[in-house]
Amino acid sequence: MLVRRLVVSAAIVFAVVTLVFILIHLAPGTPCAGFAGETAPPDPLVCRDLTQRFGLDRSLPEQYWRYLVALAHGDLGYSFSLHRPVRDAIAETVPFTLQLAGAALLLDFLVGLGLGIYQARRVNRLPDVVLGNITLFIYSLPTFWLALILLLVFGEKLRLFPVGGPNDPIICPTIDSAFCALDRLWHLALPAATLGLVGAAGTARFQRAAMLDVASEDYVRTARAKGVPERRVVLVHQLRNALLSFITRFGLAFPFLLTGAVLIETIFAWPGMGRLAVEAILARDYPVVTATALMASIVVVLGNLVADVLLGVADPRLRVRSTDLETIAT
Amino acid sequence: MLSAMQRRLHTIAFLFLIMAALAVSACERRGGCTGANCGTLVNAAVAEPPTLLPPSSEDIAANDIDEQLFLKLADVGMSTNTVGDEDFQPLLAQTWEWDGPLTLVFHLDPRARWQDGTPVTAADVEFTFNAYNDSAVASPYRAKLKRIASVTQRDSLTAVVRFRERYPEMFYDAVYHMRVLPAHLLRSVPRGEWKTAAFGRQPVGDGPYRFVRWQAAQSIELVADSTFFLGRPAIRRLIWRFTPNLQVAVTQVLADQADVREQLVTPENVQRARDAKQLTVYPFRGNVYTYLAFNLRANGDTSKPNPIFADRDVRRALSMAVDRASLVKSALGDIGKVPPGPMSSLLWIWDPEIRQLPYDTAQAARLLSAHGWRDHDGDGVRDKNGQPLEFHILVPTTSALRRQYARLLQEQFRGIGVKADIDEVEFSVVTQRLGSGKFDTSILSRGNDPSPGSGITQTWTRAGFGGSNYPRYYSAEFERFVDRAIAAPTREQARPLWRSAMETINADAPAIFLYSLENFAAVHKRVENVQIRPDSWAALLRTWRIPPDRLIDRDRVER
Amino acid sequence: MTLGTWFVLFVALILAAEAVRALRQRTLARERWRRFFRHRTTSWGLSILTFFVIIAVAAPFVAPFDPNAQLDIVRLKNVGPSWTFILGTDVLSRDVWSRIVWGARVSLRVATLGALVAVALGTLVGAAAGYYRRWVDGVLMRGVDVGLALPRIFILLMAVALWDGLPFTVLVLLIGLTSWFGTSRLVRAEVLSLRGRDFVVAARALGAGDGRVIFRHVLPNAAAPIIVSAALSVGNVLLLEASLSFLGIGVPPPWPSWGNMIADGATSLYNAPWTTLFPGLAISLVVMSLNAVADGLREALDPREDAA
Repeated sequence: MLVRRLVVSAAIVFAVVTLVFILIHLAPGTPCAGFAGETAPPDPLVCRDLTQRFGLDRSLPEQYWRYLVALAHGDLGYSFSLHRPVRDAIAETVPFTLQLAGAALLLDFLVGLGLGIYQARRVNRLPDVVLGNITLFIYSLPTFWLALILLLVFGEKLRLFPVGGPNDPIICPTIDSAFCALDRLWHLALPAATLGLVGAAGTARFQRAAMLDVASEDYVRTARAKGVPERRVVLVHQLRNALLSFITRFGLAFPFLLTGAVLIETIFAWPGMGRLAVEAILARDYPVVTATALMASIVVVLGNLVADVLLGVADPRLRVRSTDLETIAT
Repeated sequence: MLSAMQRRLHTIAFLFLIMAALAVSACERRGGCTGANCGTLVNAAVAEPPTLLPPSSEDIAANDIDEQLFLKLADVGMSTNTVGDEDFQPLLAQTWEWDGPLTLVFHLDPRARWQDGTPVTAADVEFTFNAYNDSAVASPYRAKLKRIASVTQRDSLTAVVRFRERYPEMFYDAVYHMRVLPAHLLRSVPRGEWKTAAFGRQPVGDGPYRFVRWQAAQSIELVADSTFFLGRPAIRRLIWRFTPNLQVAVTQVLADQADVREQLVTPENVQRARDAKQLTVYPFRGNVYTYLAFNLRANGDTSKPNPIFADRDVRRALSMAVDRASLVKSALGDIGKVPPGPMSSLLWIWDPEIRQLPYDTAQAARLLSAHGWRDHDGDGVRDKNGQPLEFHILVPTTSALRRQYARLLQEQFRGIGVKADIDEVEFSVVTQRLGSGKFDTSILSRGNDPSPGSGITQTWTRAGFGGSNYPRYYSAEFERFVDRAIAAPTREQARPLWRSAMETINADAPAIFLYSLENFAAVHKRVENVQIRPDSWAALLRTWRIPPDRLIDRDRVER
Repeated sequence: MTLGTWFVLFVALILAAEAVRALRQRTLARERWRRFFRHRTTSWGLSILTFFVIIAVAAPFVAPFDPNAQLDIVRLKNVGPSWTFILGTDVLSRDVWSRIVWGARVSLRVATLGALVAVALGTLVGAAAGYYRRWVDGVLMRGVDVGLALPRIFILLMAVALWDGLPFTVLVLLIGLTSWFGTSRLVRAEVLSLRGRDFVVAARALGAGDGRVIFRHVLPNAAAPIIVSAALSVGNVLLLEASLSFLGIGVPPPWPSWGNMIADGATSLYNAPWTTLFPGLAISLVVMSLNAVADGLREALDPREDAA
């Protein structure tokens, strides 16, 4: 069963990469143009040289075949716009992407779960109603708008957090000490907060609904009827359900943090993979685009696998309302 | 009574706050460097350059960084006078003399060294010229060197430059465009691969600063060379920090997280910088002018004339319909000027008395009607023979100012019954379309050298066809004036010729010259002796100082 | 703002509130409607949505100025909210309130169209997969996986890059074409559970063709998740349009959409925050309302509550 899933997943990744490869090669605007300064069009010799060196003058199927062969050797190609092997360019972005996604998800989980549980326990009373409206509002905000506002308030006016960038370029260009790790966290605060808050609002709404669901489950009512202390029954079962559904949601939501964070990465100058991908599309940097598509699809497929496996492991009696799960995840 | 979960949440929040506080406070505790040669200058830059190899890059940030890493033979002085050689400052060349009307001899400073210890020799100068001139390197500066016949070495410290003809700016051409490169390190790199060479990401130069590191997509760091033969730079460390969003970069400087922003661009930013307590704003003459270019050839087919813009009177009418002064006032406030022709305020030929087309919508309307462009079908847009007077304005998405101008122009044209649609596309597509002539009009910017000659020739004469002369404007009369102006031996003789040339091109209206941006740099108050040369703001960075009693934490950090 | 436009504005506000209240009164007797209106937020959401729809439809009467008119580029640039310009003017001296009103037309139209395409496509694919099962299901769902593997902004950027001069309606269609995957999974799940039910078996026994069975018997009973999904999709597309405008792809100038208003105003954020604040608020309000209404719909249409 698992083997079949793996094979299918591999096929999906393959299909995605092929699709992207075809699409990006059909786009008008050659990478040459990116080489030109703004005041002069690309020198025809430069273009000829580029096309020859990167084999862009060969036929599409031949380029595709060469790409696959290179891929099998772990060679992701050479980036025209960044002047580095693609693998290096992507590898550089991976830690930043993981940090941002990780921090955002952590915030999402902690705040969202906490809020959702808190609200479910005081369902329909004042705190629930107020928090419900607040989470609804935050969930509806355009994230890039929130980012700009947070930058204005916390970065410029209050000067509590740094204005963009992943680090202090003077003291900590790389993380080589505990202090620098803290510096990275400090720079991570605003971008992660932007992504995390909106995510947390969604999680809170979802968890609240899921927990209210559980509250009316038969086995909970039975346990209650049996005289088991209410608090324990509710807490244990609700938490377990909440945790499992969150893990599932995590598996589905992680990929979107990778590339959905594009706008946040641009605004906060965070050198992650989303920003790399978008700038590569704009520069028609084919190798980088196909490589990031590859990475993105692998992560998505892995996320799905993980989510499915975990769900399978879970107690089948713990039903999760698929309606909410699917709609929130997309 | 708090539940376990809530208590846990509180603890985590508390821990996070402590960590944040630690980070902030620990920042303050590091101390070390004291004295006159400390100092760190963080530049809030925007676009990261692709490479730092001088001949391969026209990028602004690359140019600024290369100014610190590589030396030219000599450089212009603060007056930016490019005629003759009296106003030039010696750099790599200690002295020079003329050996005949077409031969210039440079004597290199024997103290100059590459950062790996090798002395700089005339062989490097010869190698540099050959590289810049090589079509395989495809340097954008190549066209500017076309009047130099050869550069050879007479001995290890003497380089000889031979010209093809005599003209007033010979010295300027010999020294300004090329940065001398280390032959021993670049000889082995195939010329066709220079743009992607590893040297471009780890350059070795002979300038006042040394390259330290390049954190991709984040920052580039340079450190002062204390043995630099022309004097140790006072500021120890220079860091360029890249933020793709201009507004965020400006905010960094305002929030005291960076020290320099060399261009504030909008009047709002200038005001904010003026209000910021820790910044000083330095205005300097801008070297860029922006214009709306009309494609005089058909869109996509350069062999045919453009059905709308080939007609000189239509172009003149469109120019007269635009209230350029109000547009500048609205978009730029005090920080922009209406140019009296294709020039920036840096150029000495700037003269508001030059005759230009007036702002006169009535006359514009009359001209259009006289040429058959009337609103026959009552839809608010003029038409002729069934074709509406409608065209597209091409702008890159990267420039917020040009996009704003596109909208302003759209509305101005609407006022006289002309419909303009705005095409906002990515920069690479804009370049491609311009190169192949697939556009109606476009808002373009042109950066000037301190000398008007090369820029104007490249952009507005036949020599620029297939190059930067996107409108494909050609006027024999204009070219005659320009040639004579370039050949004139003194500025006084050249001035009236330039004036006539500008009046000719203004009358022909191949473009609407929209604005020349004045530059405003925001620099931290503690920096002294801020000398900014208008053609290249970073050229004199090595003379800036931070006095020891004004050091802040950034400066003191030792690493 | 003229007296006339103030009047129209108040009428719109009152109309929205009254319409919802009237609806609530008239449907008190019906169980499902009672559940729908159970929470206050749903009524508020519906009122806000109605208000925006009214001002969008009546835009020529509500807006005091032409949304594209640059009133005085020197003196009226970035003016703060005042009696004449109740939400201020933007960097090109255009009235923000008028642009919001006309922008409502564009943004709501874009969002509805995109959501419609997404839901329609999702329903079709999901129904086919759930009904036919076996290899059809396998192939279709793998297709959905491929679609989900690539992030939307990526695909849309590439489409804009591919197609030089992409017409905006085509872009909206593309947004719809990339947003149907979640709906298809939902619908598939519902159809899978419904297809074994008695009424379906009966219909097939009576000789009804597949199409008929799906469209007249299965789908109407699967309506609940489809409707909820539709309401949420409109909100998602609205947010997506805003993001695309910020990246430079969106409704072409000079026409306003809430998304491109935020993008245009982003450079003046610090000295004229109202130019981004109000369109951002408008988007948030509409998305909030849609989510509130979706919540209500979910409660109203929940089959488990029916049984109880």
